[in-house]
Amino acid sequence: MTPVFLLTDLALWGVLTLAAAYAWSARRALHLRAPWQRVRQQPVAMAAAVILLLHVGVALLDSIHFLPTEAAGKDATREPLSLLDLAVTPLREGTETSYSAPFALVAFDRESRLQPDGSMRREFPRLVHGGAHLQDDSARGVDILKRGALGAAGGVLLGLLLTQLLWPGWWRARADDRAATAAAVTLLAVGALVGALGVLALRYHVFGTDKVGTDVLYQSLKSIRTGLLIGTLTTLITLPFALALGIAAGYWRGLVDDIVQYLYTTLASIPGVLLVAASALLLDAAMTRHAEAFTSIVVRSDLRLLALCAILGITSWTGLCRLLRAEALKLRESEFVRAAEALGVRGVTILWRHLLPNVMHIVIIATVLDFSGLVLAEAALTYIDIGVDPGMESWGNMINAARLELARQPAVWWSLAAALVWMFGLVLAANLFADAVRAAFDPRARDALATSTTPEPNARD
Amino acid sequence: MIAYFVRRLLYAIPILLGVNVLTFALFFLVNTPDDMARMQLGNRRVTQEAIEQWKADRGYNRPVFWHAAQAGSAKLTDTLFFDSTQRLFTFDFGKSDAGRDISEDLRQRMWPSLVIALPSLLLGLGCALSAALVFAWLAGSRLDFWGGVICVGMMSISGLFYIIGGQWLLAKLWRIAPISGYGDGLEVARFVLLPVLVSVLAGLGGMVRWYRALLLEELGKDYVRTARAKGLPDGLVMWAHVLRNALIPVLTGVVVLLPSLFMGALITEAFFAIPGLGSYTIEALQAQDFAAVRVMVFLGSLLYIVGLLLTDLSYVLVDPRVRLE
Amino acid sequence: MTDPLLRIENLTVGFGGTPAIDDLSLTLARGETLVLAGESGSGKSLTALSVVRLLPPAARVTHGRVLLAGEDLFRLTEREMSRVRGARIGYVFQEPQVALNPVMTVGDQIGEVLGWHLGLRGRVRQQRVVDALAAVGIPDPERRAGEYPHQFSGGMKQRAMLAIALAAEPDLLIADEPTTALDVTVQAQVLALLKAEQARRGMGMLFITHDLGVAYAVADRLAVMQAGKVVETAAREQFYREPQHPYSQALFAALPRLEPRAAAPVIDGAPLLEVRELKVHFPIKRGIFRRTVDQMKAVDGVSLDVRRGETLAIVGESGSGKTTMGRGILRLLPLTAGQVLHQGEDLATLDREALRRRRRQLQMIFQDPYAAMNPRLQVSEILQEGMVAQGVGGDRAAREARVAALLEQVGLLPGHARRYPHEFSGGQRQRLCIARALAVEPELIVCDEPTSALDVSVQAQILELLEDLQQRMGLAYVFITHNLGVVARIAHRVAVMHRGKIVEQGAVNEVLFAPQHPYTQTLLAAVPKVGPS
Repeated sequence: MTPVFLLTDLALWGVLTLAAAYAWSARRALHLRAPWQRVRQQPVAMAAAVILLLHVGVALLDSIHFLPTEAAGKDATREPLSLLDLAVTPLREGTETSYSAPFALVAFDRESRLQPDGSMRREFPRLVHGGAHLQDDSARGVDILKRGALGAAGGVLLGLLLTQLLWPGWWRARADDRAATAAAVTLLAVGALVGALGVLALRYHVFGTDKVGTDVLYQSLKSIRTGLLIGTLTTLITLPFALALGIAAGYWRGLVDDIVQYLYTTLASIPGVLLVAASALLLDAAMTRHAEAFTSIVVRSDLRLLALCAILGITSWTGLCRLLRAEALKLRESEFVRAAEALGVRGVTILWRHLLPNVMHIVIIATVLDFSGLVLAEAALTYIDIGVDPGMESWGNMINAARLELARQPAVWWSLAAALVWMFGLVLAANLFADAVRAAFDPRARDALATSTTPEPNARD
Repeated sequence: MIAYFVRRLLYAIPILLGVNVLTFALFFLVNTPDDMARMQLGNRRVTQEAIEQWKADRGYNRPVFWHAAQAGSAKLTDTLFFDSTQRLFTFDFGKSDAGRDISEDLRQRMWPSLVIALPSLLLGLGCALSAALVFAWLAGSRLDFWGGVICVGMMSISGLFYIIGGQWLLAKLWRIAPISGYGDGLEVARFVLLPVLVSVLAGLGGMVRWYRALLLEELGKDYVRTARAKGLPDGLVMWAHVLRNALIPVLTGVVVLLPSLFMGALITEAFFAIPGLGSYTIEALQAQDFAAVRVMVFLGSLLYIVGLLLTDLSYVLVDPRVRLE
Repeated sequence: MTDPLLRIENLTVGFGGTPAIDDLSLTLARGETLVLAGESGSGKSLTALSVVRLLPPAARVTHGRVLLAGEDLFRLTEREMSRVRGARIGYVFQEPQVALNPVMTVGDQIGEVLGWHLGLRGRVRQQRVVDALAAVGIPDPERRAGEYPHQFSGGMKQRAMLAIALAAEPDLLIADEPTTALDVTVQAQVLALLKAEQARRGMGMLFITHDLGVAYAVADRLAVMQAGKVVETAAREQFYREPQHPYSQALFAALPRLEPRAAAPVIDGAPLLEVRELKVHFPIKRGIFRRTVDQMKAVDGVSLDVRRGETLAIVGESGSGKTTMGRGILRLLPLTAGQVLHQGEDLATLDREALRRRRRQLQMIFQDPYAAMNPRLQVSEILQEGMVAQGVGGDRAAREARVAALLEQVGLLPGHARRYPHEFSGGQRQRLCIARALAVEPELIVCDEPTSALDVSVQAQILELLEDLQQRMGLAYVFITHNLGVVARIAHRVAVMHRGKIVEQGAVNEVLFAPQHPYTQTLLAAVPKVGPS
């Protein structure tokens, strides 16, 4: 097995490293630790955090790629595989020919089959993998229940194990640590769900299959990485522009401010979709010109995803920049900035030491809020062909492909439903978490911190 | 105050110039005029003469930014950029690369966009504000809590779900409205019902939470305490004092959007096959019709700037503290 | 004896922990003014809010009664209480800037009370509104009634607040620090107005203040509050002659008195800093092309000098330009004209880098100790910032040692270096700001109202500290303040500023006790006396 380093893999692990570095510095800095501790005490936020972390885990697993050495069956095309692919091999390899409903035993469409007596009949062909183990078709319901229960139990057990690892002595915990309880309960519930799904997925297509027979559950799992990348990488690319330009414009005013304002007004006045579309077309043209450089579909769609994040990032820094400029304008009038000027501290040092840390709360709130917006936007952008490469699994692609099939009678609904429901789950968790973050980082809560602590009794007064 | 607005309008000129430069740069980085000609003429067996003729008809036979061969100021003026910028500023839009008259297309297609966007805005504003008032009034109660939950839920649902779900439910299942398309005269109402409903629902969650937060912020201010100290009951305080103050950011936030309503919501128009300006833009982009695209970008920017100006104006009208210098 | 108008019995209010108001009892008779005096945090505002049941949502009344003319207010429904507020109890708040609705005309805000409580409408109501404005001394009341709060000055806004509070002819007026945010001359007028209205209507007045001078001007009786309890109640004359409780006595002791200093030394010697014809003008631009049509002359030709080891006080009211001048002297703002000579060089003409290095010798401490330090930095980093920027203090270890020494110098402990600003009280924060200024070893410190945001007792300690440092290190101070008592306490010379110009300057005993200029005389006459003179 030779490792393959996709750019987006590096990017995702890079983001993780940055987050870890931030967490490390937050532990020492009181002004960061306190708000995050407030978040830690919100039960809803902690439950949402469990779900988010699980998704992050799946995405990371999906971000370690390698080339399989033996070409066996499906891998003959030398597409890199990820650890996730390896972990869910039964799902990946258990493809059908075409559509099938969730938990179905037969395909969705009729096919003409040659009967033993020589006539042709149109009937629903039996699936190759879905429910193939059943001797008696009528036992399907019971089989599902049995396997589901077994899986759920196993999942809960695993969840308990994890809880014990992360929170030793949890059974002795006080009842009023509601947040940790909520997190643990969520973990167990998700564990049950994952366990049941996992065991059932070995034998059935739990979410059905799509047009080419790929298991929809597999597609959904792979889409997590795409959504997460768009949500985080874009904001990361936005940050340097918005921060540097925003606070420079707010602090120095004058010519710098005029230039920055001109830049962001011009950029903001161009309808966003147009900018993204134009840039995407540019990218397409460039990529077709250098088509030989891409060794596989995966590599090419990977680059397209990275470029999409870059484009989205570069075209959407204006909103955050405006906010940061306004905050910097306010901060430059505050007395501690004047005090630094009176001490003879240089301008750039003032920006770095005084302005930057005091606008970080806006940055954090914006980052967390934008995440859900971006995940949702990807689906819309894919519809008008300026989103993710069709070869890459994403919820947008799933919706797009399935949309047209709704008009069929009976309708093919499961791909669409899986994508929408899964997106809803992730975005809801992100929104709930974002709410808690915003409440914790609200300046009014910060000011309460400033005046509420009781003063020291030892020094005079 | 007139001076302020004149000054702001003058300031718009460099911005529109910048926008035009950007559009040109983006477009011509991707395509050469030859590519564009080939695409428009059908990509098959087109002779070089036909290409040259096509380019000459539309002025693409000149250099984009800088004509080195000419003398003096003609270096700058005998270019595609200069010519096109001049025309845009005089609103002489000419013909699209496909041969259609742009101004005519604009006139026809702006009404469908407006017919959807304006009712969506007003209906959304009305519903969101009413709901926010109720929640702010009952802040902390169970109704408020569950309302908040529903709002977060609605915000977390993809817009596509509302569209697809709406089409499924209202068009396919209940057959109240057609799935997509656009009609004439009074028939328009039937076609517009679904897009408007979908637009309103998709944005409702976020708007209600935003307005509720605005109202609660006002409720915490000192003048509210004074009003209560005067003996006014809470209902009157909310209505006569809080609402008037909270409406200022609400109004200005809405006003800035007004001009851009003409541009149409691109996604909505695409899904519902509405022949508005939004779908016009998408079609132009997909066909790489540069003439049409640059007009749409110019108009979009102009309308955005007009929106900013209207916002300033509305501040002056609504907030007695604001005087524009 | 007639029933008291207001009786508070055993009131206890808390936020969940220790009670903010602890078993408080008071009475107020008709036509009487009771002053509730105390420092910040004593619970006096909370007491007033309890009477009208407008406590913040987190507060809980755990015990007690409030009786208005014998009626228990805590037993009323919210609807009944809303009939009491405004109609029987009028309330004047402290900050008129934010206490009035900015988007409603003043006339409408007064008319609202008349409409709701007295049912007046139309012409009759409009007339009453105009009368109410005239009664509180607002000139041109018809026009003013149609104007918005931001078009009124601070003093006029407070008069308008009073008009609102009195519109429905209440029996009781509660005034919560009504003049604290006003200039001293305006304050005198508003206090006179309050007393006059009270006498005319025979109202009872509950007056809250921290200023013993203001208290003397209005009180019939006083109640001193400390930490939620009433520690002393007395009639005015008796209180000011002989305060009984140690806390009351400490309040008096800490008060900077407007009295001549016995041996106010005269400092001689060459001036350390010379300011000549300093002008700081802000252009007013109008028109399409933003042409400068006029200048806002914040500082208009000021000349003064400061000698080594002396304190020059700059006094003036808001809008006099004193703060602008303080910043201008250090060239923290662009200077329009004039010279600021230090060690023979004109600060106004120095280039950026030279000016930056010069800042080491000319430092500043600010008014609001809560805002003057970056909340995200530790004390040690804050104190070292100047040293690092100016390249003094040696390496990291030497600087940290110096930080410890500075902390001790200002009366704090070396261990405080690892803390954050919000962990300190107001007075301690100001000490930290002083330490920060001292860190670079300056010769002169511009002090911009350094004690105005502090309680009186803390104020005295900070002034002591500043004097002590001056004597030990030979520091010069330019001390900007509006408080004449502080000037008498700490300054050697004083300059009086009015509308951007200095109208009078000289030795402190001369200017304060034998003023020449009419403005100085008005200023001094307006200062409330603390007790019978």
